[in-house]
Amino acid sequence: MSAHETQDVLAKPSPFSFKSIVNNAGIGLALLVLILFFSVTTEFFLSPNNITNILTQITINLILAVGMTFVILIGGIDLSVGSVMAFAAVIAGKAITLSGLGTAELILLAIAAGLFAGLICGVLNGVLSAYWALPSFIITLGMLNIARGAALQVSGAQTIYSFPYAFEEFGSMLIFGVPVVFLLALFLVLIAWFVLNRTVFGRLIYGIGNNEEAVRLAGHPVFWYKVAAFTICGATAGIAAIVYMARLSISSPIAGIGFELNAIAAVIIGGTSLAGGRGSVIGTLLGAFIIGVLANGLILIGLSDFMRQMITGVVIIIAVILDHYRAKLSSR
Amino acid sequence: MAHALHSPQDADLLLDVSGLRKSFGGVHALSGVSFSLKAGEVHALVGENGAGKSTLIKVLTGVHKYDAGVITLAGQPFVPSDPQFAKAAGIQVVHQEFNLLTDLSVAENISIEAFPRGRFGLLDRVEMKRRARHALDAIGLSDVDVDMPVSRLGIAHRQLIEIARALQTESRILILDEPTATLTERETSRLFDIVADIKAKGVTVVFVSHHLNEVFAICDRVTVFRNGATIATEEISETSPEGVVRHMVGRTLLEQVKEPNTGIGDDVVLAVEDLRTVANTHAGGISFELRRGEILGIAGLVGAGRTEVLRAIFGADPIQSGQIYRAGKPIAICNPADAIAAGIGFVTEDRKDEGLILDMPIATNTSLVSIKEVSSKGLMNLSKERDMAKAGGARLKLKCGSVADPASSLSGGNQQKVVLAKWLASNPEILLLDEPTRGVDVGAKAEIYAILKDLAAQGMSMIVVSSELPELITLTDRMLVMSEHSVQGSLLPENYHQEAILKLAYGQSDTPKGPTS
Repeated sequence: MSAHETQDVLAKPSPFSFKSIVNNAGIGLALLVLILFFSVTTEFFLSPNNITNILTQITINLILAVGMTFVILIGGIDLSVGSVMAFAAVIAGKAITLSGLGTAELILLAIAAGLFAGLICGVLNGVLSAYWALPSFIITLGMLNIARGAALQVSGAQTIYSFPYAFEEFGSMLIFGVPVVFLLALFLVLIAWFVLNRTVFGRLIYGIGNNEEAVRLAGHPVFWYKVAAFTICGATAGIAAIVYMARLSISSPIAGIGFELNAIAAVIIGGTSLAGGRGSVIGTLLGAFIIGVLANGLILIGLSDFMRQMITGVVIIIAVILDHYRAKLSSR
Repeated sequence: MAHALHSPQDADLLLDVSGLRKSFGGVHALSGVSFSLKAGEVHALVGENGAGKSTLIKVLTGVHKYDAGVITLAGQPFVPSDPQFAKAAGIQVVHQEFNLLTDLSVAENISIEAFPRGRFGLLDRVEMKRRARHALDAIGLSDVDVDMPVSRLGIAHRQLIEIARALQTESRILILDEPTATLTERETSRLFDIVADIKAKGVTVVFVSHHLNEVFAICDRVTVFRNGATIATEEISETSPEGVVRHMVGRTLLEQVKEPNTGIGDDVVLAVEDLRTVANTHAGGISFELRRGEILGIAGLVGAGRTEVLRAIFGADPIQSGQIYRAGKPIAICNPADAIAAGIGFVTEDRKDEGLILDMPIATNTSLVSIKEVSSKGLMNLSKERDMAKAGGARLKLKCGSVADPASSLSGGNQQKVVLAKWLASNPEILLLDEPTRGVDVGAKAEIYAILKDLAAQGMSMIVVSSELPELITLTDRMLVMSEHSVQGSLLPENYHQEAILKLAYGQSDTPKGPTS
């Protein structure tokens, strides 16, 4: 029967890594064009002060977006990070204003408490959504309310302030005009890049986002990997809380409202697929930069904050449409 | 068209298909299908799984476009562009898997495609119920309340409601895709009454079934599919079940001389005792033994419970009851990790959903099971991983550009080799294979057979589930035939006669095991 001529379709070479480079290059190019545009159209955009300003402004979003990248890579979403950040800040604020301890102990205690608070929320998000295979959208929507309520309850709806001087110092410290807190965020990006690209854990995070069943049948404990992704996301919310406190010298229970959406936007603009399995934390870095540069530049050229919001929204939609075509390309 | 196996000049032909071809990627799903329907007949389509029946139906109903061939409907050229178009032309299909919205009422389900609208475009509930009542009465379902939610109806009634829905609009051709697969005998006979009734009203019925006794009970003609082509169309009155089975089987590979496997050891590497899977809580348990270097086949139809047995042994699904022994010792396999630790590998039926991470590199897929081998302290050793993929690829004669290419860039046969390489990298003593050559072209098939036989000669034991009998006959040293979640018989190569195997699988054995449901 002529039905079965051997036909080895050695289809077009489209290496995984190469494609991700092209993706990032596209986002990098977009960022470059934005920077060029604003440096030509405005006087102050490239001034050292303004650059410091932009780096400071994107720091917290970048930290949250790094954790969010893990969750989105496994095909989940975490809507709770803004509230969890506020909750962690309140817990850390309570710790740092305790009496009877030395400054160094207080700061370490606060950092530990904030991190732990964020981490616990992440573990809960992960266990609840992975164990019952529930949409993380809903679970983390619940957590968004729980953490916000907890922050208000624990703080008595009061802003906590008067932190040790050394702590506030850290928040505004610059090295050659670069905020130390931004360097911290950059360091987190590098760690995340290493984990995602060089470790078994990172490999299986991508694997789960692409084909969870294949990873499960290969004998890997998918449940724990999912919990870990949410835990990392919670922990970065804890870190963001500490940075937030150090920068503003307060812990407010109403901090971080809507931050989750900016973090998700950075991840998506950075080319990570909402369906999971495809994307990179370098893209997230570029995505956070695009949002920050847009916010800063649009104000500088004299647009209102309302217009800035609208344009950021348009960019998010364009990013998702581009992702749609990328997904089509990759599935030949 | 040169491919026509019948005379297309018959005056009363309602539908005429000739030389129909359809490929998915490199796989030929239909390679020259010729088929016709006489107005008012009940026409059976039979053939093994993957023979092309479903693809033909999907082409006729506008789900897939065809590559080549001619279809005429009532003398006019017919090119169904989408399901809506096919429906408008009067071709209705009742799928094997239900398309009912279970939380809505019977009436709502029946009207879902065209809700009656009253004033201001609002839903006319009275008219909707009247139409539903009428549609149900038309097929003799006067006892069903149209207000009842579908979720409260049994499987059989759901099937009949699908038929009622399909028939309420003007239908010229009604396609029933394995309608009796989930029905009991009584329900089946009721369905047959309804089919006879529909036929009397002038509707042409296409009946897809695995049960030959049903085909012979209600059909006028039968068309046999094999390997994507139509082999024969015969009048039911002029043929016999044996004749139809012979067409289904063909002569391919039948006369092939099978060299006996002399490498089978005496030690039992795996024993299964009274295994009952969660999919099958009522049937008796399944027991068998697998010896070192032996290739054990499991034959049977889709739904006979073959895949479930493999999944249970591998820990992919929980076990209802029973005991598994590994090299004589009882072991508990709660998840795939336990099975892998016990030296068991599992090449799943569905490459795309369970076997491969298509968008990730070949090397990533190859190392997925033995990722510990190419990493230390949680860090990937990427060059070691590449070497593993290259070694695995070379062993299996994998044709690929670079192991960094995504698995999706490969042909079906080479994708399957990647799945094999993945499991071989973990050095299993026992390999479970579910449809190991599905969607694989003939050349790659032969290569995979040679690889598997070679592995068996080196002492690896295998259990192969396949819907292709020639494959099982070529590959296996012993064969279990399953039907209805239980083993109907166990055959040695000297008794490998396709007709005998098919009879067991179709529940048509000389010693019948209860009624087919």
